Amino acid sequence: MIGFVKQRLSNGLRVIVHRDEGTPMATMNILYDAGSRDEDPEATGFAHLFEHLMFEGTRNIPFFDVPVMMSGGENNAFTNNDLTNYYITLPANNLETAFWLESDRMRGLDLAEERLVNQKSVVTEEFRQRYLNQPYGDLQLLLRPLAYRIHPYRWPAIGMDISHIEKADSNSARKFYDRFYTPTNAILSVAGNVDPEEVFRLAEKWFGVIPPGEKIFRNLPQEPEQEERRELTVYRSVPSAHLIMAFHMGSRESRGFYVLDLLTDILAGCDSARFPAILVRQKELFSEADIYLSGEADPGLVIFSGRVRDGTDIRKAEEVVRSELERLASENVTAAELDKARNRYESHRLMSYISASNKAFSLAYHEVLGDAEGINTEHEQYMSVTAEEIVSTARHTFRPGNCSAIHYLPSKK
Amino acid sequence: MREKQKKTAPEIITPSAGDTSLPKAEFLGKGVPVFMAGNGTVDLLRIEFVFPAGQVMEDVHMAASTVSAMLTEGTLHHDAASINDLIDSTGAALTHAADKDTAGLVTVTLTRKLDDVLALSAEVLFSPSFPENEFRMLTDRRLQAFLTSRQRTSVIAREAFYEALCGGRSPYGRITTEDDYRRLTTNNLREFHMKHYRPDNMYVTVAGSDPWKALPVLEKYFSGNGADKWKKPVIPSPVLETSAPGKIFRDVPDSVQSTVRIGWKGVIRSHPDYQSLQVATMILGGYFGSRLMRTIREEKGYTYGIGAVAGAFHNIGYITIMTDVANAYRDQTVAEIRKEIEKLRTIEVSEEEMTLVRNHMMGELARTFDGPFSVADAIRGIIDYDAGADYYTRLAETVRSITPARIMEIFIRYFNPAEAWEIIAGSR
Repeated sequence: MIGFVKQRLSNGLRVIVHRDEGTPMATMNILYDAGSRDEDPEATGFAHLFEHLMFEGTRNIPFFDVPVMMSGGENNAFTNNDLTNYYITLPANNLETAFWLESDRMRGLDLAEERLVNQKSVVTEEFRQRYLNQPYGDLQLLLRPLAYRIHPYRWPAIGMDISHIEKADSNSARKFYDRFYTPTNAILSVAGNVDPEEVFRLAEKWFGVIPPGEKIFRNLPQEPEQEERRELTVYRSVPSAHLIMAFHMGSRESRGFYVLDLLTDILAGCDSARFPAILVRQKELFSEADIYLSGEADPGLVIFSGRVRDGTDIRKAEEVVRSELERLASENVTAAELDKARNRYESHRLMSYISASNKAFSLAYHEVLGDAEGINTEHEQYMSVTAEEIVSTARHTFRPGNCSAIHYLPSKK
Repeated sequence: MREKQKKTAPEIITPSAGDTSLPKAEFLGKGVPVFMAGNGTVDLLRIEFVFPAGQVMEDVHMAASTVSAMLTEGTLHHDAASINDLIDSTGAALTHAADKDTAGLVTVTLTRKLDDVLALSAEVLFSPSFPENEFRMLTDRRLQAFLTSRQRTSVIAREAFYEALCGGRSPYGRITTEDDYRRLTTNNLREFHMKHYRPDNMYVTVAGSDPWKALPVLEKYFSGNGADKWKKPVIPSPVLETSAPGKIFRDVPDSVQSTVRIGWKGVIRSHPDYQSLQVATMILGGYFGSRLMRTIREEKGYTYGIGAVAGAFHNIGYITIMTDVANAYRDQTVAEIRKEIEKLRTIEVSEEEMTLVRNHMMGELARTFDGPFSVADAIRGIIDYDAGADYYTRLAETVRSITPARIMEIFIRYFNPAEAWEIIAGSR
């Protein structure tokens, strides 16, 4: 059980506190309910670029990192398709510095043109480093527009194309900031060696005066059900072929999420799981074979990802994966498999809650999904998954028409 | 219109490193030291077994990493499928890897599964069978991963650096080729394993809310079978043939970025300058607002990130700066790095910058000792490198008291441009 208390300031800012006296540190996490799904299709990658701008200082605090370091802390942030998340971990006795910093950049960000110009260049290099200068690095860029036709998940958080980042301007940065970076649209959570009453007092003192901003109602185009298989073949200068098969699934809050999360663990969560055992060791078709959930809030993807062994035909390899998936739709997973997945879930859960910063993020994340209490109740969701539910979910998910496949092949020398 | 900031900044309490002492060791019956890192509230135990079984001990190249990878590929009592199934059923995670100097197995388990999991840990550590078929498959898989890594500029630049620093014939600097994978046999593995994976040749760390629970179980599985009395593991000193400084270029065709790596020989962890070098590299490229990050990323926008570190293997130290930049910027990047180093060799760091770095490093030290799992990592960093039990206490003292004059002295001594290797891996 992760105990916590929650309050809402009059400007709408939600504040959640978890006390952990086993550490001298505290993490302040601030989650903005704005991700790449909120972008204009003509200007993708903007939420992430904006995250970079948040470190570029304000009129009051020109160098964001300096006070963090002076107080012995560390900080970072990430952007995904759904949200943008910032955190500062520092000695608990310096917690107020984090309040000062985060409240200051929630309302006084310096959006000068030269800051934008520079960060556009940094993000362009990030794009190259992560997606273009890595073997197989562009798989993400290829998969999304194949699997999604209308939902904004059709582009990755880094953006659809470098040219979108290059043409971002400070006018749109200002608009994005005013719309999304408001108390109404944010969740603040603190975990660590802190007194909840003191945290609420600090929240009121530093954030209480910020105008609430407007509530945002998302009205994203919903992806229609996929009826027909999609396939993309590309040739790249890589040593071996790679197979991707992606299937549409339910939202993060649907029952199917928990069922598929356990199921993918049974299939590929550990060395003795089915795919490593059958596809890698027994049949020797793949050198690696994984299956995982993309994990977004709106309906996401179950993604099979496998490096095909040299000398194996990718179509034959895909056929065997398909028959393994079809087997799930007709034949129950064993009690031992289910038990193993539950044990593994339990230790992973404990492992991830060793760190106060993980707890702070997780509380904020469950709150943005609907209720911070999810951090405790999702345990029951996992434990109650039955073999029958797995069969019916697998049958629905792994339909041939629901599949988007990428055959990523070595270019002929 | 957003309103103006009215409140003044909160006062910052100067961070302190906290308790940085090495936890005391308990001893198993035969004398094996077990370091206990106990606190926290989570009902998990992390047990790590460390052997002097890294690359430096190899007679045959790749033996160390392959033995480590083969531990869970079958034992005298279970084949690969069933040993993995037994481990995974407990929910435990076993991770094993070999570094340049040592090799280890980390077991993280629910406390209630402790007995089963330690029995399995002992089995994979001391009774692996190195079956031919699993070995062949593992080799194929690793070879495929190896070939992929040949396209990473960062990997190519790193190996060029270690080769320059340690010499291509030493175990620290040897460059792996496809042939190394084909040459290795299971007999090489058995030999290496028998020599180095022994209970009289290891140490253990236990971390968790109640590490003492693990002691009797460790005694049960790691002290029996007439094992010899424990002796302190020894890591030998290989012959190192450091090459002449200068420019090194490695062609990685079609890459859209180049890795720039500039490096020098450094010092080992027990050397009196090691701690001061930590502070110097922090100033140069150890944090977001460091000299290099400010110039190369924030002013020039050449890169997503640039960093500098001073590190050490057991027998040799190194200093290195690394970054990935667009091909078009690589020469400017090298020039800018040189300029920043020249400044640090001629102008003293301001007291303001010193305070910033001191506080930052104190906070980092406090995080190094935050929680039992972190402490276990810190222990390994001390023991494996003979850094001295008071290593972190001395580091905290250096951070507190080092002067700008001493920092400049370190830059003059260790960052001489005439002694640097300037490595670029990228397309021609």
